[in-house]
This record gives sequence, C-alpha cells and structure tokens, in this order.
Amino acid sequence: MKFFDLPDIHDGESLNAFYKKLLDQVPDLIFKMVWKADNLYSVVFASESVNDIYELSVETFLSDTDIFFRERIYPEDAEGFIAAMEYAKDTLSRWNHEYRVQLPVKGLRWMRITAKPEQQRDGTICFYGRVSDVTEQKDREREIKISEERYKYALQAASEGIWDWDMKSNTVYFSAQSMKIIGKEEKEAVVPLSFWRARMHPDDIKGHEQARKTYFKGEIPSFENIYRVLNDSGKYRWVLSRGKAVGYDDTGNPVRAIGTHKDITDMKEKELQLANTINIIGSQNNRLSNFAHIVSHNLRSHAGNLKMLIDIFKGAKEEEKQEMLNQLEAISDGLYVTIIHLKELVDIQFEVKIMKEKLNLRHYLKNILNILHNEITKHGVNVEINIPLDVTVNYNPAYLESVLLNFTTNAIKYSSPERKPMLSFDFEVIKGVKVLSVSDNGLGLDLKKHKNSLFGMYKTFHKNQNSRGIGLFITKNQVEAMGGKIEVYSEVNKGTTFKIFFNEDD
Amino acid sequence: MKTIKSLYIVDDDKIYHFLFKNLLKQNDINVETTFFCNGYDAIEFIRKNKDDVEMPDLILLDVNMPIMNGWQFLEEYEKMVKDFDKKPIIYMISSSNSEVDISKSKDFDGLVKDYYLKPICREDLEKMFVLEEV
Repeated sequence: MKFFDLPDIHDGESLNAFYKKLLDQVPDLIFKMVWKADNLYSVVFASESVNDIYELSVETFLSDTDIFFRERIYPEDAEGFIAAMEYAKDTLSRWNHEYRVQLPVKGLRWMRITAKPEQQRDGTICFYGRVSDVTEQKDREREIKISEERYKYALQAASEGIWDWDMKSNTVYFSAQSMKIIGKEEKEAVVPLSFWRARMHPDDIKGHEQARKTYFKGEIPSFENIYRVLNDSGKYRWVLSRGKAVGYDDTGNPVRAIGTHKDITDMKEKELQLANTINIIGSQNNRLSNFAHIVSHNLRSHAGNLKMLIDIFKGAKEEEKQEMLNQLEAISDGLYVTIIHLKELVDIQFEVKIMKEKLNLRHYLKNILNILHNEITKHGVNVEINIPLDVTVNYNPAYLESVLLNFTTNAIKYSSPERKPMLSFDFEVIKGVKVLSVSDNGLGLDLKKHKNSLFGMYKTFHKNQNSRGIGLFITKNQVEAMGGKIEVYSEVNKGTTFKIFFNEDD
Repeated sequence: MKTIKSLYIVDDDKIYHFLFKNLLKQNDINVETTFFCNGYDAIEFIRKNKDDVEMPDLILLDVNMPIMNGWQFLEEYEKMVKDFDKKPIIYMISSSNSEVDISKSKDFDGLVKDYYLKPICREDLEKMFVLEEV
C-alpha cells in the first residue's frame, strides 16, 4: 500500500490555471490590491467576475484602475469609499464597506467590499478581498423597512397598539403605542400577562374572559372586547382589544395570539355623554307631556265650564242668574290656581342656572318641623331624626325647604287612623350619593297600580279633603332640576318610604 | 222611541255637576240624575246596591279623576256587568282630546258607546238622550 504525499489534483495543468478556473466560478469579484510606502495603490489581481461586477475587462481594470473612480463609483460615495480603505490600511483592520456604482448596462447597483489587509516585512500592505453585488438584498431591506414604517406609522396615526401573547410562557409583547395607553414611556416591552391583567377594571374582567372563551370555542371569527385599563395617573382608559390566534400546537391548542389595542376613551366618554343626554331628554319629554296634559286637561276643563256656563246663562231665569255668577267665581278661582301651578312649574323647568348653596340638612329639617309643629302635635306624630349634625347638601334653599315640607306634610296627611303615626328621617350615602329617606307608617299605596302616575300632576290616591295632587309633582321636578332623583317604596296599610337622592357632582 | 229616564254622572268637577244639571233643565230633559265625585264612589255604590237599585239607562264617565279614574272604573265595572240584567249605555266625557285617551275608549268596545269632548252642548245632549228603538 502506498499514498502519494502530494496528489496531483490538477492533472498536470498549471496551478495558476487551476485556481483561475475555480475563481472564475465565483460570482463575486476576487481581488488582490497592494499598497506601497510611496502611497500607491495598485490592483494586481482581479477575477473574471469584474466583467459582471464593474462591467470592465480584467485588463482594463488592472491597467487603468482609476477608471473605477472616474466612470463607475457613484460620485457621492467615492469619498466614503476611499476613507474606509485608508482606515483599514492604517489600522490593519478588515475593510468592510457598502457603496453604489453606476454601470453602463445594469445601471445603479449596490456593492459590498470586504478585504483583509496584511502587512509585509517591507511595509507594503496587501489586501485580499472580494466585491459582491448586494443590490437585491438592499432592495429587499428597503422594502421591509418601508413596509415596517408603513405599518408603524399607520398604527401610530390610528393610535393603535399591538399585543403579541405567547401562551406557553404567558408573556405578552406590547408595542410602544400600547404602553402609551397606560401612561408608560412610549417603548415596547415584553411582560408577564398579569402585568396588564392587574390593571384591568374589576368589573370588566368577567366580560373579557367571556369574549376570549367565545372566540376560542370558535363561535366568532375574531376576538373583540372593550374594557377599562388603569393608567399611571390612576385614571381608567377605555380600550378596544381585537385579536386572533396565529399559532397552534400539535393538539390544536392555541399557543400564540396577536392583536391590537385602541384607546377609545374619548369616543366612549362621548357615548356615555350621549346616553346621559338621551336620559335627560327622555325625562324632559315626560315632563313636557305631563305639562301638555295639564294644559289640555285643566285649562280645557275650566274653559269648557266657562262656555257651558255662558250657554246656560243666556237661557236662565232671573232668580237662577245669581247662583250662576257664584259658579263663575268658582271657575275663575280654579283657573287662577291652575295658572299659578303652571307658572311654578315653568319656573322650575326653565330656570337656566339655579343658585345652589351648602346647606346643613339637619338644620333645614328642624326648621320645617318647627313650621309644622301644630300639625305634628295635633296628630301626635312621633318624629325620629337620624342625620349627623354636620351633613350638608349643595342645594337651592327654597327647593330644599319645599321638598322637605312636601314629604313631611304628605306623611302626616296620609297617616293611618289605626295607629300612632311614626315619621323617620334617615341619612345615608349610597355609592357616593347622599340620600335622605323619609319613612312613615301611614296608609301606603299600591305601587303596582299607581307607580307610573304617582308623580304625575293632579293625581291623588286617597280619599282626603286636602289632596291636591300637586305636591309630589312639583317636588319631583325640583329634585330633578337639582340633578337628583326620588325613589319610592310603599305597601298598602304599612307605610311609605321616599328616598331623595341629592346630586353632589357640580 | 225610547227615552233615557235615569242617569249617573261620574266626574270630580262640582261646577260641572251644577252646569250639567242646569243644561238638562233648560233643555226640558227630565231624568233622574245621580252624581259621583270619582270612579271609586260610583263603583262602590253600584256594588253595594246592585240587588236593590236598578242600573241607570246612561252613565256619563269622566276620564281624569282622583282615587279611581274613568279607566279604572271601567275595569272594575267590566267584572260586574255580566251579572246585570240591564246594561247601561256609557259615554266617556273628558276635557282631554289626547289621541291616547280616545283610542283607549275604543278598547272598551261594547261597554263604551262614544267619546265626547267637553264642553257638552245642546246637540251633544240630543244625541245622547234620544235612542233609536232596538
């Protein structure tokens, strides 16, 4: 057995010819450049690829290297090219540089040069390197960059953030825009899912879970949910979150989901405002129709009586006429009272700005009870007051007096003859709103029958001489004009509780 | 021709009671008239006396009244009327020209014959009090 210690791999052809053939296969331009101490650069070798790369023959390129600077390199890039070359030579570090060339056939192309400088003993420096055409790569890079920018700026303009949820590690990528929603620096972040979850409004978590389940069950084509998220200033922002699962494991369970965040707080606030406005308009409408009812019914009934009276007056006998004049007076009185009531109502409805003051509730109630002292003693009413000494409400003084007076007189008026009247005033705060309850143990009323008409004008439900049916209507209007509301609880022959909600907002 | 001999007026307006009485007198309509101030008084009277007092020929019923209004009266009355031999004609009389009220009176078809708007005049009376023989 015997091995050649140097196998003849080129079958007798010259080593030069052998390497040249190999090098000519490489699409990149392979070159050797030499720098001598007299600051002269010369290209001593270039592979055939120079025909493609620079559209120059090897001979031209070697004998007239300067042609590269005169006719090939993009003028703006020449300076940078030379600087990079000098730097590599001075520091003997790898020369890496990208530049453009203007070729006669192929036009503008991007090139990348990379070469290694090696210093010889005599001080000359040899560069061994290559030049590659990177135009296509550059184009792709630019396309990606444009596409990324388009995406980024579009999302920014739409104020939409991106989330990317890795379900295996339970971490979420949040884009800068998403982080901005919660008041963080506008910088993307990868955080545990709980980071975001902890900021969600407790009332919205259930709905969010539900939406997610519905989506993963395949009942809807994409996930969508609106919820509130706490920002760093302690305020909740409304967020519209949409997404889709984009990755599944072998068993078909989702492992990755991607979606967007949109801050819709402004929209949501307008929506809530609108709903509020609709409520106000709705109740205004109710009052208006009640108003129309009074005008229709009460004024018409007086006018009708008047017309009938005049009709029969014409045919009446002399002795009957005096009685008819008495009736005329009664009609006139009734008409007058109705007009007073209408005026009262119009005043409440159309007062633009009603003056409000901080009023001590207990103090005002005591005053009313003093005014009603005789009535209370006469009926033997037991009055209980559970209002802290320092409770104040922001209210119009005349309205507060009127409201307290009305509920108190009502309670006394409709007391039951069968038991000792009890009247209690209790103060509490319900969900941040101050509430006064006025409870009695009187006749009570059937709310099923009367609830809708309870606060209507001229509605009375009891056989009582003093009933005018105007009090509750005016009272309700006053409470609502102050931005509050009234709730009523009642049981026949047990008693009635009215809850007055004060509005402290403004 | 059959004439109306007895009449219930259910209306909370005392002045209207007086005026109606005089209107009847001036038109020489001789009818036995009973006045009620609201639906509750009327329905209680009917309930208590249904075995002793014959129902009237005609009931003129106001819509808006305290305690029990005209509609609530009709609901109660509807429950009782099937036991009566004599079924009175009922007219709704109101100052309210609201479409809601007028169409509601049509819901009591068979009970309520017509809806009259106040004030009541001689022509209305003639229509109400002159009956065609059935």
